[in-house]
Amino acid sequence: MTNADELSDKQERQLRDCYATLHELAETCGVPSVVAAARAAVAELHAALDGQALDFGFYSHKWSSEQPV
Amino acid sequence: MALLAPPGPATAGYWNRKTETMPRQELAAWQWRKLQLALAHARANSPFWRERLPERLDSLEDYFARVPLLYKKDLIAAEETAPPYGTWPSLDPSFAIRHHQTSGTSGDPPVRTFDTQRDWTWGVDLWCTVLHGMGVRPGYTGLVAFGYGLFIGFWGMHYGLERMGCRVVPAGGLDSKARVRILVDLQVEVLGCTPSYAMRLIETAKEMGVDLARDANVKIIMAGGEPRPESTTQAISEAFGARVFNAAGTTEFGTVSMFECPSLNGGCHIIESGVIEEVLHPDTRQPVGYGEEGIRVTTGLGREGMQLFRHWTDDLVVKRPWSECGCGRTWDWFDGGILGRRDDMRKIRGVSVTPVMVEDVLRGFPEVNEFQVVLRTIRGLDTIVLRIEPDEIPGLDVADLGARVSTTMKQEVGIRPDVEFVTPGTLPRFELKAARFHDERR
Repeated sequence: MTNADELSDKQERQLRDCYATLHELAETCGVPSVVAAARAAVAELHAALDGQALDFGFYSHKWSSEQPV
Repeated sequence: MALLAPPGPATAGYWNRKTETMPRQELAAWQWRKLQLALAHARANSPFWRERLPERLDSLEDYFARVPLLYKKDLIAAEETAPPYGTWPSLDPSFAIRHHQTSGTSGDPPVRTFDTQRDWTWGVDLWCTVLHGMGVRPGYTGLVAFGYGLFIGFWGMHYGLERMGCRVVPAGGLDSKARVRILVDLQVEVLGCTPSYAMRLIETAKEMGVDLARDANVKIIMAGGEPRPESTTQAISEAFGARVFNAAGTTEFGTVSMFECPSLNGGCHIIESGVIEEVLHPDTRQPVGYGEEGIRVTTGLGREGMQLFRHWTDDLVVKRPWSECGCGRTWDWFDGGILGRRDDMRKIRGVSVTPVMVEDVLRGFPEVNEFQVVLRTIRGLDTIVLRIEPDEIPGLDVADLGARVSTTMKQEVGIRPDVEFVTPGTLPRFELKAARFHDERR
């Protein structure tokens, strides 16, 4: 039995899929408004994944335009 | 009329049950995993951290043993190499969406930080952990009473309330009277401010003939940003008829890192999924055990732009084990939150005195509206001079009040002060970080 405030396996998959989809969209899309929305959504999903202790590439999100300092 | 059930222990809960109730061993592994990633990111991208962080750290213990403590002067020096941010950042500042900085009131240059979109969202999510844990729910109305300026202060609370689905009143440019009116008119349920400013609102409401407990509808007060004695918490709680909670963070960490849950009485859980808090002896810099006072040393596990490893905060804390709180969180907690700052402690005739100790005595006198503590050398002796602004009570015998304050100070703090009375309304009030201690001996 799981608590209502815990993710089911299906919901965990959905969360990971959303992150991957939006990450790709944010990386590849050329429409400014869509890129802005996708990046904001990726930031939100990052917080959700982190809150659920789901391991992923924490620092892998750097968009192609980002360069090291 | 309140539309929602009053919040409190019965309704407060977990924002992320998974990480808030994780078994300790699992939590330590999760922290270590996140720390390894953070260290790799810092080494790869920040010249400042590349110089400071040893290679091949193989455990948390190894990290504590080999990574040097980070002091404010180190950050300021790093910033001065190439202002405004210097060599500290791990990402180019052009990817920032916000800038904040410390007030610089200590005379030092300000510490400047920025947040990327992900950093900011992560920090706001920690605020959601805090607010949800205190009982805030979607549909509530919140008012955040601060200046909305460069200081990070309560910005995160504003955005956290929004993110949770609360209605937030932007009260930044309003004076205290206008804020009191809004508390009443909009029946605001959640108030964010410093304890000092909550006292100011109480005083203002009284002048306006408003009984906050009767006329307003505040249920939850997030009173953070400065240490306070229990007596101040009690006074705020009674005046508003609300539960007063505590929380704290630092500009350098970028967001809130501890909060009071309804099961704790002034204590603050450490948000251990996002931060590692060591407690070290102020002089030896060695770890102290549960129940022993020491300095809080912070390692951040969330931000990508401005990272923090072993930051010496100068905050005095006492850590307690998670098992001593009944809320179910497996996060350790700080008894009383931040007890004070080490640099606020003064020696007067051999007695250690902090602003919170004096405030605790004075809050026991409802006739005292506001006060200031001045440390002076009088006839060669270190002396505490209490400048007191009395309430305008007809027939108040100020000489008697002064004598009672003086006697209680001697009993409670160990020093008999000189007491001076000043005209009501003349001492400064504070919205952020009260500065009531003035050391004129230097």
